[in-house]
Amino acid sequence: MSDVLLSVENVVKHFPVQSSKRRFRSREFVHAVDGVSFDVRRGETLGLVGETGCGKSTLARCITRLLDITSGRVVLDGRDISTLSSREMRPLRREMQLIFQDPYGSLNPKRRVGSIIGDPFAIHGVADGAERKRRVQETMEQVGLNPEHYNRFPAEFSGGQRQRIGVARALALRPKLLICDEPVSALDVSIQAQVINLLADLQKQFGLTYIFIAHDLSVVRHVSDRVALMYLGKVVELAPVEDIFQTARHPYANALLSAVPIPDPIRADKRERIILVGDVPSPIEPPSGCRFHPRCPKAQQRCVDKEPTLSAQQGDRAEHTVACHFPVRPGEDLTLARPAIAAKDRIVEPDVVSDP
Amino acid sequence: MSFTNVGVEAAANPGRGAGSLRGGPVGKIQGRSSWQLAYARLKRDRAAMISLTIIVLIILVAIFAPLFASFTGHGVYQQFRTTGLQANGLPVGPSEHFLLGTDDQGRDILVRIAYGTRISLFVGVIGTLIIVAIGAVMGLTAGYFGGWVDTVIARIIDVTLSLPYLLFGIALVSIVGPSLEIVIAVIAFFGWAAVARVVRGQVLSIREKEYIQAARSLGAKSWRIMFIDILPNVAAQLIVYATLLIPVAILTEAGLSFLGLGVPPPTADWGQMIAEAEPLYQQAWWFVMFPGAALVITTLAFNIFGDGVRDALDPRVNQL
Repeated sequence: MSDVLLSVENVVKHFPVQSSKRRFRSREFVHAVDGVSFDVRRGETLGLVGETGCGKSTLARCITRLLDITSGRVVLDGRDISTLSSREMRPLRREMQLIFQDPYGSLNPKRRVGSIIGDPFAIHGVADGAERKRRVQETMEQVGLNPEHYNRFPAEFSGGQRQRIGVARALALRPKLLICDEPVSALDVSIQAQVINLLADLQKQFGLTYIFIAHDLSVVRHVSDRVALMYLGKVVELAPVEDIFQTARHPYANALLSAVPIPDPIRADKRERIILVGDVPSPIEPPSGCRFHPRCPKAQQRCVDKEPTLSAQQGDRAEHTVACHFPVRPGEDLTLARPAIAAKDRIVEPDVVSDP
Repeated sequence: MSFTNVGVEAAANPGRGAGSLRGGPVGKIQGRSSWQLAYARLKRDRAAMISLTIIVLIILVAIFAPLFASFTGHGVYQQFRTTGLQANGLPVGPSEHFLLGTDDQGRDILVRIAYGTRISLFVGVIGTLIIVAIGAVMGLTAGYFGGWVDTVIARIIDVTLSLPYLLFGIALVSIVGPSLEIVIAVIAFFGWAAVARVVRGQVLSIREKEYIQAARSLGAKSWRIMFIDILPNVAAQLIVYATLLIPVAILTEAGLSFLGLGVPPPTADWGQMIAEAEPLYQQAWWFVMFPGAALVITTLAFNIFGDGVRDALDPRVNQL
């Protein structure tokens, strides 16, 4: 059994742009995910970080085949699942499950909790009747729900409890891989901790592998073994969690980390924030070369011309890779953060950034 | 008479808040489904409950129509040429003997109205069931699959709604002859499109919900998502639509029968009775009034009840 459970190889997902003017020859695409590669090892938690619209959720839906990928491969347990038909895919869905962000939208308001959590058993023909009920209640207990609430409706639960229902549904068939798409970002901070601890306990108990998508860096730091940082559909830095938080190499990573709130006013005052200029460029016409170059304080002509690839830097561990021509050295000051490339050379950004 | 303006567009899904309303402050908190809550609201609606009582009475009349015949001693087809007709051949008015008078052939109007209830209710209920079934399946299919399937079904809906049902009915009856089946077929054929359109619109928004993605990521088949995940979310609208469609179907049947396109004589039918009474309305008011009143009371009861159902299933309508 290989160490790698899931392997994402150069996955690309483009959405055609629906333009009313050129409806019949739409040649524009939203480059939602544009060549993402990484491995997920058995039993680890890979944090997937990036701001809204960078392609995290799209990537999750590509991996679970809720969306067909434009090109690339998704290899689960040694098997390429990217080209399987939905019929061939069905048995493999037991192996990986999604936990959704919105605990209100992800549960059918018209169905009872027992029936929602019983869905996986019904769909895969695993258990029927009393046996199904027994296993549903067992799963409810595992995620900290009262099994007596079997006949309740989702509306009768709080946000945190609802998210537990979502976890129970995903967990019901004992998948190997759980993809958590911002599972706590819609919850109160106090509830976030409960759900995160639940996920951690379940991981220990069942040897689960997680892809944990989030935009909250503190949460990611807490749960992840490794972190992949995305910007505009690409992974710009992939490293063990402490490496990212101690010695991030990508200027974008440094800018993000400098924005994490510090709950200590004295330390927070001392900290120098890196303020990025401009907005995220349109994913319809992403910048040439390195996608971060129009906003990057270190950008040079080479960043406009040539796209950097993920590679390990000297002095880093081999598994700490970054896609940058001019990675940040430890101690380097980026706070004078104006783009190094003159404005006239930058790609003109459209006003509207569409959120795929 | 139109199938298109039943007006349930406002009855959007009852919303997630519906389940949180709870009963009294004492005792064990009992989880109640949105259906149970809707029923509780419906029970408080006086007009709807009166209508429901009338509907139940009408149903009882339909079931026990033969009792009217045996009680009065007048068969539904029986012609009383001596007692039931005046010397000049005109029908006799309401009397001790004929409570609601007689028709132009000396038959007891009371008995014929009782039997006519059967036809009206049968066409109303069966026609509506067929309409809702076809409309729901077509709307679910179009809305869920989208793409070319949606385009094709949406165009069929548009074409169906553009056809003149009366001309179509006349043409059809002139070919195959009048019968109850043809009436139901015409009603169903021209009724489903409006339901399908409403359902399709709802499905278009529901299919984007995350719980549909969750079902897909679990590996649920399309039919399962359509009928187990989506259908319960449009069921409220379907039920509202159905209760409001019953009177429309009853009126359509009466209209077709009035024009001689419905149930063939001598079967007792309200629309047909009104048609037969039409040349005599100046001499025999009871002949047109009582079948007309039966029709109005029935459709009014169903309409008021349908309004009540809509209010009960969608509490937000009251607040608008």
